[in-house]
Amino acid sequence: MVDANLVKGECTGTIKFTPPLYKQRYQFIKDLVNKYKLRKVADLGCADCSLLWMLKFCKCIEVLAGLDICENVMKEKMHRLSPLPGDYLQPSERTLIVTLHHGSVAQKDPCMLGFDLITCIELIEHLEATELEKFPEVVFGFMAPAMVVISTPNSEFNPLLPGVTLFRHPDHKFEWNQAQFQSWALDAASCYDYTVEFTGLGAPPPGTEDVGFCTQIAVFRRKYPNTGETINLEKSTENPYRTIFKAVYPSLKDEKYLRNAVVSEVINTAQIITRRLLDSFKSDYKEHRNGLLELKPDFQLPHCFTRHSKNPSVAEAEKLADDINMETYVSGNAVYIPLIKFFSIPKVNKLCGTFENLSKLITGKVALSNDGSAVVISTEHEHEEKEIE
Amino acid sequence: ESKSQCAVLGKGGRTRYDFPDLGINTRKSIAHVRDCKTGSSGIPVKVITNLYSLLLPREWQLYQYHVTFNPEFESRRLRLALLYSHAEFLGKAKAFDGVILFLSQKLENQVTELLTETKRGETVKITITLKSKLPPSSPVCIQFFNIVFKKVLKKLSLYQVGRNFYSPSEPVVIPQHRLTLWPGFAISISQFESRVMLSVDVSHKVLCNDTVLEFMTDLYTRCDRAGFTEMCEKELIGLVVLTRYNNKTYRIDDINWSVKPTDTFPKRDGTDISYVDYYKQQYEVVLRDLNQPVLVSRLKNKQKDSIEPRIVHLIPELCYLTGLTSQARADYRLMKDLVQETRLNPERRQQRLSRLTDNIQRNSEARLELETWGLQLECQISLTGRIVPAEKILMQGEMCLPMSAGDWSKDMRNMKMLGVPSLDTWLIVCSNRNAEIVKNLLNCLRRVGGPMGFRIEYPKILHIQESTLAFLRALQQHVNPEVQLVMCVLPSNQKDCYDSIKKFLILDRPVPSQCVLARTLTKPGMMMSVATKIAMQIICKLGGELWAVEIPLKSLMVIGIDVSKDALNKGSSVVGFVASTSSRITRWSSHCIFQTTGTDIADCLKVCMKGAISKWLKHNQELPARIIVYRDGVGDGQLKMVVDYEVPQLFSSLTELSTNYSLSVVKKCIARFFAEADGSLRNPPIGTVVDTEATRPEWYDFYLVSQLVHQGTVNPTHYNVVYDDSGLKPDHMQRLTYKMCHLYYNWPGLIRVPAPCQYAHKLAFLVGQSLHREPSLELTEKLFYL
Repeated sequence: MVDANLVKGECTGTIKFTPPLYKQRYQFIKDLVNKYKLRKVADLGCADCSLLWMLKFCKCIEVLAGLDICENVMKEKMHRLSPLPGDYLQPSERTLIVTLHHGSVAQKDPCMLGFDLITCIELIEHLEATELEKFPEVVFGFMAPAMVVISTPNSEFNPLLPGVTLFRHPDHKFEWNQAQFQSWALDAASCYDYTVEFTGLGAPPPGTEDVGFCTQIAVFRRKYPNTGETINLEKSTENPYRTIFKAVYPSLKDEKYLRNAVVSEVINTAQIITRRLLDSFKSDYKEHRNGLLELKPDFQLPHCFTRHSKNPSVAEAEKLADDINMETYVSGNAVYIPLIKFFSIPKVNKLCGTFENLSKLITGKVALSNDGSAVVISTEHEHEEKEIE
Repeated sequence: ESKSQCAVLGKGGRTRYDFPDLGINTRKSIAHVRDCKTGSSGIPVKVITNLYSLLLPREWQLYQYHVTFNPEFESRRLRLALLYSHAEFLGKAKAFDGVILFLSQKLENQVTELLTETKRGETVKITITLKSKLPPSSPVCIQFFNIVFKKVLKKLSLYQVGRNFYSPSEPVVIPQHRLTLWPGFAISISQFESRVMLSVDVSHKVLCNDTVLEFMTDLYTRCDRAGFTEMCEKELIGLVVLTRYNNKTYRIDDINWSVKPTDTFPKRDGTDISYVDYYKQQYEVVLRDLNQPVLVSRLKNKQKDSIEPRIVHLIPELCYLTGLTSQARADYRLMKDLVQETRLNPERRQQRLSRLTDNIQRNSEARLELETWGLQLECQISLTGRIVPAEKILMQGEMCLPMSAGDWSKDMRNMKMLGVPSLDTWLIVCSNRNAEIVKNLLNCLRRVGGPMGFRIEYPKILHIQESTLAFLRALQQHVNPEVQLVMCVLPSNQKDCYDSIKKFLILDRPVPSQCVLARTLTKPGMMMSVATKIAMQIICKLGGELWAVEIPLKSLMVIGIDVSKDALNKGSSVVGFVASTSSRITRWSSHCIFQTTGTDIADCLKVCMKGAISKWLKHNQELPARIIVYRDGVGDGQLKMVVDYEVPQLFSSLTELSTNYSLSVVKKCIARFFAEADGSLRNPPIGTVVDTEATRPEWYDFYLVSQLVHQGTVNPTHYNVVYDDSGLKPDHMQRLTYKMCHLYYNWPGLIRVPAPCQYAHKLAFLVGQSLHREPSLELTEKLFYL
């Protein structure tokens, strides 16, 4: 799963990982999310939300949650988790909700239920003994996601790191060797009915393979199927976490954006059809007059009933629309395009699902014929121009 | 000094000088308005403003501290973390950028020393030194308030795009033009006449639903391949794009056609990566078109000392256009549909403003942001304006008091124009197809001309083929010095045909000309009013006078200045200068000069002024006793340049003379006034002057509503008299300005700005759009640019 060739011993003897190990850890999670198409992911000890920020770009993600004991560090860059202005211009098909909570991993809060994956990247070594004791029950027993990923420093690697005497970071309460971590993880797994696999990031230099990875990782998978959130919900009615941030991304699941998308698509297609139709009339007219006279500016469309020429952007719709009811026709100063025609455009079809829904979504936003069966595009202003004063 | 403080305040070191005209005090040097700058005449009227007062506790001050660390740290994040670890010591209201710390409460000591420990166990000494105490009216404090309010608006889920704030979650789509509008607000905090206030106006951001790549593809299918790159650059350069993957906007400065998404660029860590891989890795975005070029944007330098501008490459597929392309601007239907959505009447505008202020009050986080600093948003300000007396319109031998000052075309029906030359020798050029139309027009012209006192002889009519070349050939053959006027009936509004005709008749063989669209002449039932309009324009172009207003000052010269961009040469701007030559202020001389954009226009103004004085002397045999200049086209941040360079240059040649002079900067403003009537809000009556509360203490300024608006909300015009040694009372200055708005001969009614400004605008626009050269001197005394 991990590229082994990540360590570069430099001539000075110091070890440097490229890309830096923290990035590799995030990438590890991101790859996991993309591989299993995970939808709901929570990051415990999310700090400045960098991992969550990376994950929000994954197309499969629908729910992201972060938890940290330090509110300030979360707030520092949390605005990066807000939707971007561009997200509103072309709303995505999926929904996405990002929430940040302030609280401790030693506490149970129902907002952490029902996740596909819970990540604890370089978290456990910051926990006090009492917190660490409660941790397995909270994460595996209560939250009980389908997957858990826990990473922590491997103390056997420390002698290879320059300047590390006791721990890699002053706030670390402990650093485990491979045996310690694996035994803790195996205990937790067996206790809460999970399987566990071990891997790591940051391979040791040649000759020191026994040391193991610089970062050790345990990947847990729940053995039993999702028994539902309701049971867990009953366990706790309290909400010890405090929500400090919530962002709901614009989505086509929201009717407001769906309607805009459908209306835009319908009008755009209708305009293309109309323009082609008028162009074909114009050329017919010119041919008819043998090119002697130019089109008169006040040229009116003849009252006629005709099929318009093929249009590449709706070519597919054309194929499906080989029916007399789907004729486009011109009457007076307007072009009438049967609504059913738009429903056969794959994009519109996908957005609306049913013809009734299409009809419902565009009513009041697009000019329709009296019986609602056709989109009406007025051609009256075709020749209107701004005047020179 | 204040600039650097402002720069520091912007989070992340983003240098933005939003308030460049701050702290320029021009009122103190104008003796007669130092104590009082308000007028007195007119009927009082109560108006509601778009200003909200900001309540501050008594004796409120902002404390500015300088913070140093020992040992020093590069990282701003670390500096913040270290200082904020003493949060309880410093209380809650604080703003710190790593160097400068603002507090709303004073620390006990002038210098505070804190000891703190890093996570690595290193001991750090933080020294916090008081630098200054700032009253709310100080420029730094005003800038600070603006930053606080930006934070407040962000808390309300409004996004900053450019200068203003928008709500992308409430989009208005205009699907027929593939546009999206985001409703939003323009806000700013300023020190107004007696207090600090927040001004709010509604703003809309226009965005294209298409990416720049889609725009390019569309353009490619619609224009010929040879001209594609040139066309693309013409349409796109200068526009601002919003990217899909971050919250930033960029100005397109260039397009690099030789760089492809598969090319690489160096990342910050020194490694190279291709654009395709970068966007995939960073944002999970897969680029579809691997042959698209890249857009080039030059970032403004963060540090003044770095010479090389930073360049960024943007992928067209990932950029959305904001604003309108010139193509879109030229689309009459698009603009109509756009205005439909953006034009708000006073009632609807007020609703939007109330929604914003209510949201600020209701949103606990937003309110907290203000409360921490001790700020409170108070109610909307009402004030009393005055409706200055209506003006009588003077015609030949009689006068009228119009029913509505917005349009007196009906009132002056059957009245003779003030001074009308006769039209004896003239030409009409039209296509064969339009021969009938022209005959009809001629009849109508002669019919409407009679009551005006305008005698129109039968012209020589040239029937030609419908082509630009045919027009030019006819003009070359038939325009001679005897011809007073040439009328061209154009078959369509093709710009090149219009431009070619105007170029020939202004630059090569100067003679006044009148272009008319054939289509205008075919509207049934409109012929008489069209003919009336054309007849009046012709009179002006021949050097005649249409109407006047009473001017109590004798020997007064009025000047209008405006600046326009040259459409062909982006680095060049056109200065239009129009000065009155008659004491009735009915005749004008004009000057037009090209200027490199970015340089002071002061030098050319001196030349223009000399020309204007000599024309005045020619007609009046003595120097004007007073000169009043209205300067339009002053951008944000240019006020200082106007005061320091333009005023001295303009009037330098006059110092020995006994002439008094004044200069007012004319500007569209974000101030809005509503009048209450029958329980609903309306536009204030035409002629409303506001010279209290909403004005600035350091300026001699006032607002004037001189425009009749049927739909939407009227834009008051702001006048800032930056120099005045005439001793003219404020009341007289205001009324004189109002009179000047009556004298634009292209419209029988009041207009938004003084007539000379509008003339200067028309002149500069014609030269910038069509001529690209300075007009012939032979036409200077005619309104050929109408």
